[in-house]
Amino acid sequence: MRTLVFIPAWNEEASVTEVIADVRKVLPEADILVVDDGSTDATSERAREAGALVACLPFNQGLGAALQTGYLYALRNGYDACAHLDADGQHPAEEVARLLAEITADRADLVIGSRYHAGAVAGTGDYRPTFSRRIGTSVFRFFLTLATRQRFTDTTSGMRAANRRVMSLFSQHYSPDFAEIESLQLAVRQGLRVEEVPVRMLERAGGTSFLTPLRSAFFIFKGLVVLLVGQFRPRQAEVER
Amino acid sequence: MKALVLAATSSETGQVQLTSQTRIVAAVLAVFFMLLILELIRRDRLQERYSVIWFVAGLGMLAGAAFPGLLEVVANLLGVRNTNVALFSIVLLLLLGLALNFSVIMSRQAAQITRLAQERAIEKAGQQAQGQNGNGSSGEQGLQAEEERLEG
Repeated sequence: MRTLVFIPAWNEEASVTEVIADVRKVLPEADILVVDDGSTDATSERAREAGALVACLPFNQGLGAALQTGYLYALRNGYDACAHLDADGQHPAEEVARLLAEITADRADLVIGSRYHAGAVAGTGDYRPTFSRRIGTSVFRFFLTLATRQRFTDTTSGMRAANRRVMSLFSQHYSPDFAEIESLQLAVRQGLRVEEVPVRMLERAGGTSFLTPLRSAFFIFKGLVVLLVGQFRPRQAEVER
Repeated sequence: MKALVLAATSSETGQVQLTSQTRIVAAVLAVFFMLLILELIRRDRLQERYSVIWFVAGLGMLAGAAFPGLLEVVANLLGVRNTNVALFSIVLLLLLGLALNFSVIMSRQAAQITRLAQERAIEKAGQQAQGQNGNGSSGEQGLQAEEERLEG
C-alpha cells in the first residue's frame, strides 16, 4: 500500500517545516509532497530542506489547482491512497493517519476530517471558529446536505484522504475556484462513498486567514452558485488511467 | 459601422435614409476593416480561427451599405417600428455575443494554462523523487535544487 500525503502551500515558510516533520513522525512510510502554489517566500526551499518532494506551480493558481496537482501526482505515480492537509499547522498528522486508515480498510472512497462532527472533542489550544466562519459553515452545510442528501458537518475541511477512484475523478474535474464544496458534491453524484470522521484541529501556527467579512459574503454567494450549477452537471463515466 | 450608425441617427422619421455618400463611406470602411483583419492574420497578430467572427461583422457592414432596405426588413421582422432602434439593438447584441465569446475562450485558456503548470510541476517533482530513490545520488538532487533556484 503506497501512500502519498500532500500539502498545498502558499507562502507558508513559517509552518511548513513543522508540518512535514509531524507527518513524517506519524506516517513514516508515506511519501510527502508539498505543492507550492506560486509562493513568493522560501516555502519550497524549506520543504526541500525538510526532505519533502516539491511540486512548484510557476504562479499562484488557487487552492483548487494546487490540490488537483496533488491528486494528479498521486494518480500518475501509482499511489494506492493519498491524503492532504493544510500547511499552516492546523491539522495534526495523527488525525490524517486516522482518515487514511478508513481508506486502507476500504470503508470509503473519500474521507473528510470534520471539526464540527458530533464526535469531535475540543481541547485546549484547539480550533474555535469565528462568528462569520460559523455562519458560512452552516449555510454551506444546509445546502450541501440538500444537494447531496447526505449529512455533512464540515464542508470546507482541508483535511481529506482518498483512494484511486477519487484521484482519477479529481485529477480531471476539480473546480479551481471552489474546490472543497464542489468536489464533495461531485464525488457524491458520481456514487462514491464519502465519509466524515471527527477530528481535532488546532489554531493556526503561522499565516492569517484570508477571510474578511466581505470576502466571506462573496465566498458564500459563489458557493451557492457553484452548488446550484453542480446539480445540473452531467454525471461522468468513470475513467481509470 | 460607425458611418452607418451616424447616418441612421440623422433620420427623424424613424426610417433610415442613407445618402449614396454615406453608403459609399460605409462600404469603404467595411472593406478597410476586412483588409485590416487580413493584414493582422498575415502578420501573425490574429489567428484564423478567431478572425471568422470579425469577417462576418465586416460582411454585415458591407451588406448594410449595399442594401439599405435590408435593415428595414430586419426591423420589421423584429417588430420594431423604428429602424434606428433596431440597428442599435442588433449592434449591441452582436457586441454582447462577442464579449461572451471572449470570456468562453478566456476560461478555456485559463484551464489549459493551469493544466500546463500542473504537468510541469508534477514532472519536476517526479524527477526529484527519482533522484532521491535512484542509488541515493545526492549530487543529482543538489543539481536539481540548484536548477530550481535559478528558475525561481
